[in-house]
Amino acid sequence: MELPIKLSEQSREPIYHQIEHQIKALIASGQLETGTPLPSIRALSKDLEVSVITTRRAYQNLEYEGFIKTLQGKGTFVANIHSSLKREIKEDTVVRALKTAIETAYQHNYSKTEINKLFNAILNDQEGRL
Amino acid sequence: MKASIEVTQLEKIRDDFHLGPININIEPGIVTALVGNNGAGKSTLIKTIMNLVKPSSGDIRILGSYVEETQDWQKEIAYLPQNKLGYDPFNGNQLKELIASLYPNWDDKLFNRMVKELDVNLRKNFKSLSPGMQQKLLLSLTIPRNTPILILDEPTSHIDIVSKSILLDLLAEWMEHDDRTLILATHQVEDIRKLADMVAIMKDGDLLAHTDKDSLTQSYTQYWMVDPLPSDSLPGEVKRKGSKSIVTENEVQLEQYLSQHQLNWLNKEQLSLEDTISLMLTI
Repeated sequence: MELPIKLSEQSREPIYHQIEHQIKALIASGQLETGTPLPSIRALSKDLEVSVITTRRAYQNLEYEGFIKTLQGKGTFVANIHSSLKREIKEDTVVRALKTAIETAYQHNYSKTEINKLFNAILNDQEGRL
Repeated sequence: MKASIEVTQLEKIRDDFHLGPININIEPGIVTALVGNNGAGKSTLIKTIMNLVKPSSGDIRILGSYVEETQDWQKEIAYLPQNKLGYDPFNGNQLKELIASLYPNWDDKLFNRMVKELDVNLRKNFKSLSPGMQQKLLLSLTIPRNTPILILDEPTSHIDIVSKSILLDLLAEWMEHDDRTLILATHQVEDIRKLADMVAIMKDGDLLAHTDKDSLTQSYTQYWMVDPLPSDSLPGEVKRKGSKSIVTENEVQLEQYLSQHQLNWLNKEQLSLEDTISLMLTI
């Protein structure tokens, strides 16, 4: 199974962190349900074109934090996550995306008021389309 | 974890060539890509590991055994060389019977699968096969030996795009078994991107670097400037590409310098794996 993970080489965030965050987001959003098998470390490394050392680190952290479970000889699966934790991660994912957008705006010398105005305009525009 | 292959202070001196001294440990569970220009010493290093070339000095151990002292290690390792000698009068079926009998872990199912997926002709004599077909047959005769260590010298040379992708999948799957070790000497960036975990870079007989692939791609950053750069050497500078572009190995120091001198940059990007390796081999 291929996971919809997109790595950014230009990001300052280490690659194993990016993998970790994106798998968490997939679990929190329900795209990866409890019990779903995850690709092996080797298979994911090949898809993402990273070293198994990096992928293993991401899986180890996810396992340590209780997001995934490895069953000896059977593979790695999505663990059962408490719904409050899912909410937390969803919020974290959105906050991170918004922060990036705000940083981009500041880099282009937008003021707080201008950002606010733009944000609301885009939000209203999207609502109109839905 | 115990190393699969340990190379210590290895040197090979010939009239026109000096390999080493090389020190490298290859770990199990890891795919190592051995890269370098033609004549850098990759094949000589591999042949020395296989005890086919006698080193001038230094030691090689495979799974703990010194290769010059015992033969125990020979059944633990499968090697596909670049030069294919002695196969010419036989067809694939005959070669398989010969080779399968030598390796106790021979995997006939894997062999049949490879022959089918790679569309290998087993009935024609080796000699009359195209170079690509020869290579595919040899890979099918090597990988199913299922030895703990597999060394492939230029495995994807001459092979068509579809077969190459099938082969990379097969090798990734082969590595799913714990503690297997794979070494690829290769010129193909795709092999490295898709399969390698560690990259060993050789130049002029020396081992330039042995590092994990993901930190390798973080070695150099290229900046594109608004205005031409001053001509003196800047912090971490490794290369200029025209007057408005610079490659550095030290982002932090370069950015400090640029901001101190009010030099604005438009964009920056980490060099790709391919560009990083080429740069290391040329500077």
